[in-house]
Amino acid sequence: MSESVVLVKNREVVIPGQALAKGRFKLGRDVYRDDSGFIRAKKLGLADIKEDTVSVVPLSGVYIPKEGDIVIGIVSRISGSTIIVDIRSPYQGVIPIPRGRATERVDMRKYNLKLGDVILAKVKAFDGSSSLLLTIDMEGLGKLEGGYILEVEPAKVPRVIGKRQSMLTILKEKTKSDIIVGNNGRIWVRSPSLKELLALEKALRKIETESHVSGLSDRVSSFLTQELSD
Amino acid sequence: MPLYVEKKPEVLITEDGVRTDGRKPYEMRPVRMTVGILDKADGSAFIEWGGNKILAAVFGPREVHPKHLVLPDKALVRTRYNMAPFSTPERKRPGPDRRSVELSKVIREALKPAIFVENYPGSVIDIFIEVLRSDAGTRVAGVNAASLALANAGIAMRGLVAACAVGRVGDFVVCDPNHDEDMWGDADMPMAMLMEDEEITLLQTDGPMTEEQFREALKLGRNAIRFLYEMQKEALKRPYQVVERSVRGVV
Repeated sequence: MSESVVLVKNREVVIPGQALAKGRFKLGRDVYRDDSGFIRAKKLGLADIKEDTVSVVPLSGVYIPKEGDIVIGIVSRISGSTIIVDIRSPYQGVIPIPRGRATERVDMRKYNLKLGDVILAKVKAFDGSSSLLLTIDMEGLGKLEGGYILEVEPAKVPRVIGKRQSMLTILKEKTKSDIIVGNNGRIWVRSPSLKELLALEKALRKIETESHVSGLSDRVSSFLTQELSD
Repeated sequence: MPLYVEKKPEVLITEDGVRTDGRKPYEMRPVRMTVGILDKADGSAFIEWGGNKILAAVFGPREVHPKHLVLPDKALVRTRYNMAPFSTPERKRPGPDRRSVELSKVIREALKPAIFVENYPGSVIDIFIEVLRSDAGTRVAGVNAASLALANAGIAMRGLVAACAVGRVGDFVVCDPNHDEDMWGDADMPMAMLMEDEEITLLQTDGPMTEEQFREALKLGRNAIRFLYEMQKEALKRPYQVVERSVRGVV
């Protein structure tokens, strides 16, 4: 096997088709290997080079569901035995209403949903194209009462959460709010007053625009302190 | 009676190779590209190239409507090239016509090889190209802008697509024909390449060229496209560099 070469700096902004590395690397997310063995970026994003894996952290893009993801959805249609949920994705979520011979105990009150209800759901199964099964049949899932829905770009969700939830902890503590972040970029917030909510919204915009510059947590933390001081 | 009468210049190119706008045969008109200028689109770009002003917007991948168009194994790619009624010297009747339907098709086929359509089965990627002001070479300018808009939308791509037109005026092979050369020149050849392999995804020719002239035109076009590709890269990275600079400036 030929020599391994890395052609970009770690965390450098790369464009689709840009050669990132060549040689013995594993393909991470959003990269592909071309015919001549170069590993190239699939998306506009930040190069992420670990010892043996090359990937790209995308800077934009719609939400593509993954099994096990927690999403915040809005009930868009109820037809017969299924609830159709909009999850801000090319694919609509489906929740079948359990009936008949229930093998396990199901809390049927959870399924008493109306159009426009906001729910916290988990992606149960996704075949990659048409069938996207969601479930609310778990502790903590189901209808979200009260609060507000804010949105961020789905590609920025990992930044909003941060390493070991560091960013989310900052946001929660500084704004004294309950925050639930869905993988699809919807964020449910219940804050003590409008002031905290507005500060949080501004902080989210800041995270979105500055996510590619290091030291984000510190900047967001001091930004929130400043916003909420007076 | 037309309100505007086109006037053919007496000389399209002098013996020394000076063109009607003062350019040399191998020179390009000034180009400026800007990315991410439309809020409601998933991705967008604006290109100014000579007198052209063209907007490109990308929506998706999103749900397909009408449902019967769904492709179960890959994304559907739809493209609409449209000229504004005020984009030409004389008012253009709004709406699609023979020409814009053809251009939508060739632009779609120029861009589609770049997109990993298999990554988004059952969805649609909509590309809109709106010509606000036209001045020869709108299809290639549209391809450049649309390719930027696709990257800006975060769609998985093999690479960017860059495009440029070349042509022939008399004995000269010229780069990026202007309006006069487009109207009265001898040949016009728009081309697009999928970078960085330089795989040709669009090549049309209108007008006769000898084999030698064709090869020269192809070479000239390839060099022009490489230059445009560098501009595209710069345009995509620029917004992030601006933010980084302003953040670092404050800290």
